[in-house]
Amino acid sequence: MRRIVLCIMLALALMTSAAAFAAGPEPIKIGYLAALTGEYAPYGIAEANSAKMVIDDVNASGGVLGRPLELVVYDTKSRPEDAVNAVRRMIESDRVVTVMGANSSSINLATAPLVDKAQIPQIGTATTNPLVTVDENGKVRPYSFRICFTDPYQGTLAAEFAMTTLGKDKAAILHNVGLDYAQGLREFFKASYTKLGGTIVAEEGYRDSDVDFRAQLATVKNSGANILFLPGMGRDMALIVKQARELGMADLAVVGGDGYGEFMNDIAGEAMIGTYWITHTDQEDPVMAPIFKRYEDIYKEECKEFGNVTLAYDLANWVVDAIGRAGAAEGPAIAKALADTKGLELKHVTLTMDENHDPYNKPGIILKIGDDMRSHFFMKVEPK
Amino acid sequence: METLLQQIINGLSLGSVYALIAVGYSLVYSILLFSNFAHGGFLVIGGYVCYFFLGGYFLSNFFEGGVGTNIWVAAAAALVGAGLSAVIVEKLAYKPIRERTPVTLYMLIASMGMNIVIENIFVVTIGGRYRALPSVIPMKPVSVLGVATTSQFDLLALATAVVFLVGLQIFLSRTKWGLAIRAASYNLRTAGLMGVNVNRLISLVFFVAGMLAAIGGIFLSARYTLYPQLGAITTKAFVAAVIGGLGSLPGAVAGSLILGLAEMLATGFVSSQFRDLIVFVLLIVTLIVRPAGLFGKSVGEKV
Repeated sequence: MRRIVLCIMLALALMTSAAAFAAGPEPIKIGYLAALTGEYAPYGIAEANSAKMVIDDVNASGGVLGRPLELVVYDTKSRPEDAVNAVRRMIESDRVVTVMGANSSSINLATAPLVDKAQIPQIGTATTNPLVTVDENGKVRPYSFRICFTDPYQGTLAAEFAMTTLGKDKAAILHNVGLDYAQGLREFFKASYTKLGGTIVAEEGYRDSDVDFRAQLATVKNSGANILFLPGMGRDMALIVKQARELGMADLAVVGGDGYGEFMNDIAGEAMIGTYWITHTDQEDPVMAPIFKRYEDIYKEECKEFGNVTLAYDLANWVVDAIGRAGAAEGPAIAKALADTKGLELKHVTLTMDENHDPYNKPGIILKIGDDMRSHFFMKVEPK
Repeated sequence: METLLQQIINGLSLGSVYALIAVGYSLVYSILLFSNFAHGGFLVIGGYVCYFFLGGYFLSNFFEGGVGTNIWVAAAAALVGAGLSAVIVEKLAYKPIRERTPVTLYMLIASMGMNIVIENIFVVTIGGRYRALPSVIPMKPVSVLGVATTSQFDLLALATAVVFLVGLQIFLSRTKWGLAIRAASYNLRTAGLMGVNVNRLISLVFFVAGMLAAIGGIFLSARYTLYPQLGAITTKAFVAAVIGGLGSLPGAVAGSLILGLAEMLATGFVSSQFRDLIVFVLLIVTLIVRPAGLFGKSVGEKV
């Protein structure tokens, strides 16, 4: 009930602020593509909230190019087909100058042709699949960007961590066969891991709506694997870890990708203790602490998906900076400013873009789940 | 051998949860001859009622800290809550249709609509995030004959499913209302002519179906996690009900166990990537060989 009242109040506040802008210069519209419902909603809601904080701050200090900003949020419903419709509406009826989000490679792969044609830059937060910014023919997509590292890099990181740091040489992989992100990350992990001398002893698949993984895990158990690599999304990975421990696989080491979300500890509880996750940022980062605190004050809920909050926060600031440098609220100029970004000080990274529209030499963070069932900084991995 | 035993145990435990849901489908089908796709919604309602009672979120607007309850009270509330919602859904969405037309296809479509409505009510009011039930149900691993592992939770789920399914069977075969339901499943119109209050009977059937869905909901949200789309798992239970023969309760149970075992064995001995292919081929073959399902009573519209 309190939440409904809050929503109504928020809507009223938005309307009055829109009315206030109507008197001044026309606002610059920026789209945010986020999963507000469906499987990936926990990540998407956190991102949209975080970006809203930045946009409000910028407006409070006078906007960009003398104009206020307006954030237009659309729901992907966690599905590429709905995301395509959302982006079409953002571009055609809202006339946004930039699309921020989404956080899933499958979605940005689906919307890439659309933003290219409309010449509106789109920047993904956790879209790590290489094809998001560079197409199958090796040609850079002129209007697609990302603020995260890529899967080849993440896969190498995971493989090196498993083999060298943990010393585990027999790996099993459990992945969602319908997810571009998972397919890519699995391939890159496999390549690096076998090159380092490890053996892949089991490779099992599952589908989007699956919640029971015991059959696959029984196969993993019999394969004699000593490490389980999970290139998936939070809910699936949490259920897999939980069910693995229930099947008595207490010693199996677990390393997962950046689909990690803090809510996984609620789902899997004690089973998560001692597992490792490769992410973009950590919860204990002192630079981000005041921002997480503000997030909790504004939205009245624990800032659980801190990775997405951080990425969206920095993304929004990056876009504001790029519009300022572009000097015009137009797609092509903003795209050029984004591509030319060099040494931009953001909260979690000093951002320089390479020729593939990927961040250059971005470090990865490995988190370990402690006995308190929260993630803790384990080590920072700099690219070689 | 160990693997086989392990997969059979896993399959039975998965199948028993399917059975609770599949029986609800079959029960409604046996009376009204349509598949109630809003069944997944009742399951989700049961899960959320249980969650809110357990966590003490219930009435937290009126009492400081809310009224936290134990699992028995929470489960009872979930059963009644889901049962009542099922009755309300029937009164709102299906009754006006069945009073106007004998074509059950319209009720089928209304049920698909209600499923979306229920799911989205949860999304807009309390949000789409994943919620975990407090650990009130024991989850410790249990060794079976020293060669396979199951958990206390699975044994409990199996036992609960058996208790409720046997209870339902006794209710249907030993009570007056059970007799009325069985009569109505032969012919609803004739049962009405014989003096059975048809509207009350249908409400009762929906209440029971809602309760069974709630039990499925509690176990599913405790084992996996609770979110508005959890009802999607009922697709598998529906397939199980069709394999067993829609409208037949023993059929629903048999179909569920077969499906649970088929899924686990296909994953364990063929490939996890072929699992759904094998399961749905099984469905098609069953329908070709026995169009009414294993225990089906007549050949009619399946959906």
